[in-house]
This record gives sequence, C-alpha cells and structure tokens, in this order.
Amino acid sequence: MINVEPTLNDLQVMQFIHNGYITLESIVDADFNKECESVDGGRLNDFVLTDEFRRNVLLHPQVAGVVRSLLGANFLVPTSAHHHLFEAPHRGQTWHSDGITEYGYGITHLQCYYYPKAVKIEDGPTMILPGSHHRLVDREAIAHYGDILGQLSLTVPAGTVAMTRYGIWHKAGPKLNADRRGMIKFSYYRMAMPKRDWVRDSDEIPSYQHQGRHPYVTEIESYRDRRRGELTWNWLCGLTEVEEPIPPIQMFNSGIPLSAVRFQ
Amino acid sequence: MIITVTKGETLVKSTIKEWLDNCIEKLNAGELTEADLRGVMTALNSEKQLLLYLYSKSTNLRSPLGGWALYDTTAPDEPVLPSQDAPYASVLDAVNDGWRIVQFPRPELYNFTDVDNTYLTYEFILEKFV
Repeated sequence: MINVEPTLNDLQVMQFIHNGYITLESIVDADFNKECESVDGGRLNDFVLTDEFRRNVLLHPQVAGVVRSLLGANFLVPTSAHHHLFEAPHRGQTWHSDGITEYGYGITHLQCYYYPKAVKIEDGPTMILPGSHHRLVDREAIAHYGDILGQLSLTVPAGTVAMTRYGIWHKAGPKLNADRRGMIKFSYYRMAMPKRDWVRDSDEIPSYQHQGRHPYVTEIESYRDRRRGELTWNWLCGLTEVEEPIPPIQMFNSGIPLSAVRFQ
Repeated sequence: MIITVTKGETLVKSTIKEWLDNCIEKLNAGELTEADLRGVMTALNSEKQLLLYLYSKSTNLRSPLGGWALYDTTAPDEPVLPSQDAPYASVLDAVNDGWRIVQFPRPELYNFTDVDNTYLTYEFILEKFV
C-alpha cells in the first residue's frame, strides 16, 4: 500500500473538530495548476483517475497526510470529482450544506475543494461558515440567510486545497467580474475504526480543549459545541461514546481503498 | 448604520414632489384636473416593502447580532460583496431607525437539546416601507 504519513497533531485535530475545515495553501505544483485551469466544468471522473491528478492532488503528501490523520489508514481515495466553474458575474449561491447532512459525531467524510487558480474576493470565492458542520439543518431552510459573523471567503493562492468536514455550510460567494473561477470538489471516506494514530508526542490521550466561540454563536450554542467536540474527540481517540456507520453514505461521490491504488 | 434605504425613499419623495409642483402650476393656471390629483395618489401608493432579517444573540432586543440579511426590491439586482459589519448594533437599534418588527422569535418552537445546534438563533424579521 502507498505509504501515507499523518501530518496533524492533537491540537490540530482538535482545531479541525472545532472549525470543520483546514486549508493547505499553494501546495500543488504550479505547472499542474496551469493544466487544471483549462479543464471543462462538470464531472471529472476520468481526469481524477489519472496518475498525475493522484500524485499532484489526491495523494499529495500534505493532502493525504491530513486525510490519514482524520480518517485513519486505508481511507477511500476519490474516484469522482466535480469541477465547479463560474465565469459570468452572479449574486452568489445561497448558504447550504451538500446532500443530506451526514450529521453525526464522527469524522468519516472529508469534502475537499482544490483551486488551480488564485481566487480574489471579486472572483466569487467559496464561502464557508466555520463550526457550522455541527448543525443539523434542512439546506433549503437556511437559503434566506445573508451575512453571518465569522463567515470566511476562501480568497486563496493558486494550488490551494481546502478540506472540510462534510456538512459545513458553504456557498459560492458573489462574483463581480467575468473571470474564470474554478474549484474541483472531491471526497475521501473513512474505512477504519478510529484510533489516535495521528502525530502524537505521547500515548497519553489529552482531554479535549475547546477552541473558543465562533463569532455568530450564542453562549448556549458554544457550550453545546464544546460538548459535541468532546464526543467527536473521544470517538476519534477510540473512546467510543457514540457509533457511526463506516464507511459512511456515499451519495454523490465514490472512492477506492488506498490499498487498491496503483501508479502506472 | 450601514444599510442604506434612502435611495428608494428619495425616489418616491421626489416623484411626489414633482407631481405636486406640477399640480400647483396647473392650479395657478386654472388647469388642474382630477387626473392630476390621482397621479399624486398613484405615487403615494408606490411604496415598496423592505425586509430585514436579524439574528440576535438572545431574545433580548438589546443583544448583539450574529447575522443579517436585507431583501431590498428597490436595489439593483447586482452582486454585492459580503460584509462583516452588522447593519445595526441590535434589533432595538434597527427599530430606532424606523424598522418595524413583523416576527419575533419564539423559543418554545426551537428544538432545545443539550448537545445539538441547528439554525441560527434568534431570528427577528423587520420591515420598512420606502
């Protein structure tokens, strides 16, 4: 099996539990970014199966290292992807989470956004709401929401990969220009029961450290986030208080086990 | 205040003023008709409703806001960059600026649990006519 080393430590895992995302800026090779810039919009099932896409993006050591840290060994590597391509100006999408929420306490599904080209605020960057992956909502019932304190526009340099806990609220932000803005979206899934096998200084499992209050969150909601974070942390460390289906539902995307991936 | 609703308001007022100036001119000339006065009435009835959603940190109208959304039919249908500056400090601040509350949040309708968060709280809906 291709060797993938975890890259996150205890604190970084706790931060991911709290925020629901991590961004890896400018990690993809510039030449490969150029190649991906001109890819058509829509499904990219053949392209993501190529060795070069796997080497440059899907199994890039930093990307795969985060996946290995959060989803354990022999995770499902994406075999499908979608290129979300915008050119004309638009008012932006409405806030939503994709599909059904996959609401649960575990981390079993990472949804990732790869930006081959730099994204400026005028380009209609993807917007995410940190911490919203903790919220069980009907996606159509949050469509009237507007600006939310703490929302984040992913204005990023070329070659950035943002990795999110599935269910995080997101949308394409308002686009003021007619420049091409692309984002390739794909998902990894957990196949192994969780244990604390990311980067660690000792075998002693630290207690979950709540990472503070998101700006839009009320006081009671912050207490709930803390408790929910503890449940997720304990689950990831193998101190199971809750059960989650493994592998999770794969509604729109597919993958193959890391152990089955072969480079030509 | 960040949200500007004076554009539509000014437009309606200037239209009414124009009609009234025209009516006075015609009155002085002895040419005022019923149709002229009905025109003023039409301008007065052209008010448009603006809606403002405010997400308060509690049911207290003085609480700070966590989110907001303005639906303004008088504004051009163009993309607007996101903002992190709340239009008002609180719901009460908005009311003080002429907004009327048309829906109060009702906590008993929320599915209260000790662990799970759902929608943004506490949603006030306000209106203003311009």
